[in-house]
Amino acid sequence: MTPETNPIVAFEQRGPITLAVIQETRMLDAINVAEFGRQLAERASALPAINLLLDFREVDYLSSAVLSELLRVNGIVEKNGGCVRLCGLASAIREVFQITNMEKIFTIYDAEDNADAVRRFVRSLDIERKEQSWNRLGKND
Amino acid sequence: MSVGRPLFVREFPSTLSAMSDTLEAALTALAEHGWMKDDRDFCFRLCLEEALVNALRHGNQSDPERMIRLEIAEDGDVCHVLVHDEGNGFDPDKICMPPPDHAGGRGICLIRHYMDGVAYDHKTHCLEMTMRREPCCKGG
Repeated sequence: MTPETNPIVAFEQRGPITLAVIQETRMLDAINVAEFGRQLAERASALPAINLLLDFREVDYLSSAVLSELLRVNGIVEKNGGCVRLCGLASAIREVFQITNMEKIFTIYDAEDNADAVRRFVRSLDIERKEQSWNRLGKND
Repeated sequence: MSVGRPLFVREFPSTLSAMSDTLEAALTALAEHGWMKDDRDFCFRLCLEEALVNALRHGNQSDPERMIRLEIAEDGDVCHVLVHDEGNGFDPDKICMPPPDHAGGRGICLIRHYMDGVAYDHKTHCLEMTMRREPCCKGG
């Protein structure tokens, strides 16, 4: 694990997945949301095609400002060929994602722990890769 | 404020630090008066923060010379939260949930979801939110 200077997010590489564990229980108030976004965007810009899994297990509160930051980071990641997925959302936070239709943008794993979420993320990447291969073969036929 | 027994009143400049201090003090006052049981902590924190951020950024344009006034009162089983700013005002009923990929505009929609009532008084530049003791969250 490589902690940041002011680690709102702690990053850890798990095979093809970059796990980002959010450290602040109330990260996500108006004061520190910009720093949260900065740390994620910096990592996303440094690693093209990053497969970023955000672990919210320590978070018990967030505001709509965080959703805006997540969308901004998601835009950076997708532009570079990667993707962002989420896990560990408490029920109250999950509800915020439901109300705001953020579930249409982000895949959210209801996993037992982040290791389980990482496994599911890797499996879905494998499936996507195979589908792309089949599609390419189909076009060549 | 003319509604019920005052629980909290504070006027502060439009800065994030003053807003954060006020938010914590207001939540403490709500807890002392028994409004923060069960999942109300999350509901009140979210709605107060969204309302104060809107007043600061959209109402007062983050101008520290402009003031925000937060008033909280209880009237029987109803809690009234009033946020006054010095902006041009808006109509909360005309704000819809933005598309999922849109950057902002979700705060007032979240307030509408969690609070029992939301209205804006253009004469007093005041957003009023109401919450009943039971149930806490309409959609919960």
